[in-house]
Amino acid sequence: MRLNILIGGKAGQGINKVSEIVSKTLSSYGWFTFNYRDYQSLIRGGHNFNILSISDKWIASHESKVDGIIALDENTSKIHQKELKKDSFVLTEKGFEDLGINLNVALAGALIKILGIEKKFLLDEIKEQFHNSESLEEAEKGYNSQKQKYSLKKLENKMKIINGNEGITQGAINSNMDHYFAYPMTPATEIIHKFATLSEKNNINVVLPENEIAVINMALGANFSGARAMIGTAGGGFDLMTEALSFQGQSEIPLVVYLASRPGPSTGVPTYTSQDDLDVALRAGHGEFPRIVLAPGDPVECTELINQAFYLSEKFNALSLVLSDKHLAESEYSINKPVHNIIKVIESKRKIPQKNGIIKASSYEHDEHGNTIEDSEGIIKGVQRRLKRYEDIKKEVKKFQMIKIHGNKNSKNLIIGWGSTKGAIIDAINSENLDAKFLQVLYIKPLSDEIKEYIEKSKNVILVENNITGQLGRLIREKTGIKIEEKNRILKYDGRPFTSDELKEEIKKRLK
Amino acid sequence: MANTIDSIKQKLGTKETITWCPGCPNFLILESVKRTIAELIEESKGKIKQEDFAMSTGIGCHAKIFDYLDISGIYGLHGRTISFAEGIKLGNEKLNVLAFAGDGDTYAEGMEHFIHAFRHNEDITLIVHDNQSFSLTTGQPTPTTQQGYKSKATPQGEKEKPLNPIKLALAAGGKFIARANARNITQTTEILKKAIKHKGFSYVEIVQDCLIFNKEMDNKDSMMYSVENKDKAKAEKLAEEWDYNSKKGKIPIGIIYEE
Repeated sequence: MRLNILIGGKAGQGINKVSEIVSKTLSSYGWFTFNYRDYQSLIRGGHNFNILSISDKWIASHESKVDGIIALDENTSKIHQKELKKDSFVLTEKGFEDLGINLNVALAGALIKILGIEKKFLLDEIKEQFHNSESLEEAEKGYNSQKQKYSLKKLENKMKIINGNEGITQGAINSNMDHYFAYPMTPATEIIHKFATLSEKNNINVVLPENEIAVINMALGANFSGARAMIGTAGGGFDLMTEALSFQGQSEIPLVVYLASRPGPSTGVPTYTSQDDLDVALRAGHGEFPRIVLAPGDPVECTELINQAFYLSEKFNALSLVLSDKHLAESEYSINKPVHNIIKVIESKRKIPQKNGIIKASSYEHDEHGNTIEDSEGIIKGVQRRLKRYEDIKKEVKKFQMIKIHGNKNSKNLIIGWGSTKGAIIDAINSENLDAKFLQVLYIKPLSDEIKEYIEKSKNVILVENNITGQLGRLIREKTGIKIEEKNRILKYDGRPFTSDELKEEIKKRLK
Repeated sequence: MANTIDSIKQKLGTKETITWCPGCPNFLILESVKRTIAELIEESKGKIKQEDFAMSTGIGCHAKIFDYLDISGIYGLHGRTISFAEGIKLGNEKLNVLAFAGDGDTYAEGMEHFIHAFRHNEDITLIVHDNQSFSLTTGQPTPTTQQGYKSKATPQGEKEKPLNPIKLALAAGGKFIARANARNITQTTEILKKAIKHKGFSYVEIVQDCLIFNKEMDNKDSMMYSVENKDKAKAEKLAEEWDYNSKKGKIPIGIIYEE
């Protein structure tokens, strides 16, 4: 069973609180949820909405057609009327006019009743979140105002709700990160807040320098003298860091970069989503130097891949970029299995100043002491050393899951995708048990040789990406010589993520 | 004692061939820096070692010091020396961190870091080699170049008036602001030692001739006199005494302001 509820209103009215109360109540009731957040770049007013998808099985996407609307303002039901399915419900602020700031709590209570969940689960959650009797009364008032429409049965799943940014944070803590440098930029900003909250307990220094250029250079300085720092940003900020990425290539100071995308070019659409920045992650920075580019597809993979990024950066004095986007970073997923395999990040053989004597790192081509060289023999040595480092990285990453296969493993229809499209692709396949297998690419660079084998074994290859040119598709063509047919590329570039119902129809048209 | 200092200084050198122009005051700055570090090591009676120093540089003539000074460090990027130095200090607070910079390097490319460094107030020392020109790129005007300066890039003469970095540092809330004369090794050494000992961000602007470009601003020694000041109002007056635009007025050398 799956339901999609749209919760809309003005910024500042508390639609996220409705989602939070309902999804946490459902969580303790054993149900899976996925919460998509659609919001504008403003602080008060406008029109924002969430789509809360509810299921008795694991899901990681939302659908375009909704079973109900919770409208905190008049606009919401007008705007979203056309998205309602037959036999759906609309719950408005009418009847709750006198509640003021507690409107969200009352509507959450009302929705819980509509879903047919015992009042106890709601009240427990409200007690957990609020410490006043008023909220409890208003939640109960909301609950009592409605008639039950569905009857969700209690399930025994144990889980918690996290978003991609929280997954990243956890992965960094698992890797013993001690400094986080950043300049605020959506959708990476939230990470600053998460680390700031955790800073005392986990001994993390959160530093907000004057701009992204200072962010990356300070992080490199700190890592040079023995810290384990990470930085986070989005497209525009990442562009500012480009020169220092190249510096990383020359100086070989380890660095982990979290890059969360939104639609570009330029300021683009700041609070929406896209997979526009794969190309820039792969290429940013002048000169030839190794790098690692990883693409988690859900919060658990965020935790695991950030950990692998720290491990690889430390082991090979390398630059690791972990890609995400607004959809993965800020959508809320139900997680029912904790991250098990935490890799211990071992300190590299890299020498640390003071501890290991006098150590020099340089932006110039340099000798083994770090002093500048310009002779051809020395240059060749440096260039070859960097290439060798990439060869070593390529060998090492084979011990990690560079790709994952989901869906019908024997199918001749192969869907290829990366990052935040994972949830919608899997849910699309699962919803009708489509004859398709899904190859999820987690390691973009190095890219797994197995991808070529999978493509060659398939009759039909379909590409799914949240950008207009199919950037992973182009990379696969560059590496394998195989072109995925134009008509088999499902590309979405309206700033919105794929919904699983729409994507399912697009996939079905292309199955053989 | 002199012998000890000489032997420490010896160790602070490297085997690299020095590629500054013959007679460049950068040789004198290098000597002052070596003396500073050597004296600090010597005076500490074993508490401070050569390994306890780290540097960062920008890119330009000043930055070549990286190859000639045997302490840890990052040969950085143009304009970014302050960020690297702040990072090094965050990564290991036990290090004494020196950030070397040029005038184009920090007052043009790296200006945002310069202003914010006073606010961040990390315990590092910024040393700006100010020769009032981009010399390694063959003599274009920097923000401290005088109006009318003729170069390959400005055949009609530089149109803009120079920036006064000392005034800016005071306005930015600087707590240790000094000016040194590259040619006066003894005094520069004293200033650098005080700067390193200052807890928090210290800024030393070294007035330096360029023997190849912008020669009309060279030889200002007769305008210079020594100061040591802790008064903010007086510091503002001292900062005004030389406008970087001419060879008129007086150039105060020493601690312009220490809180």
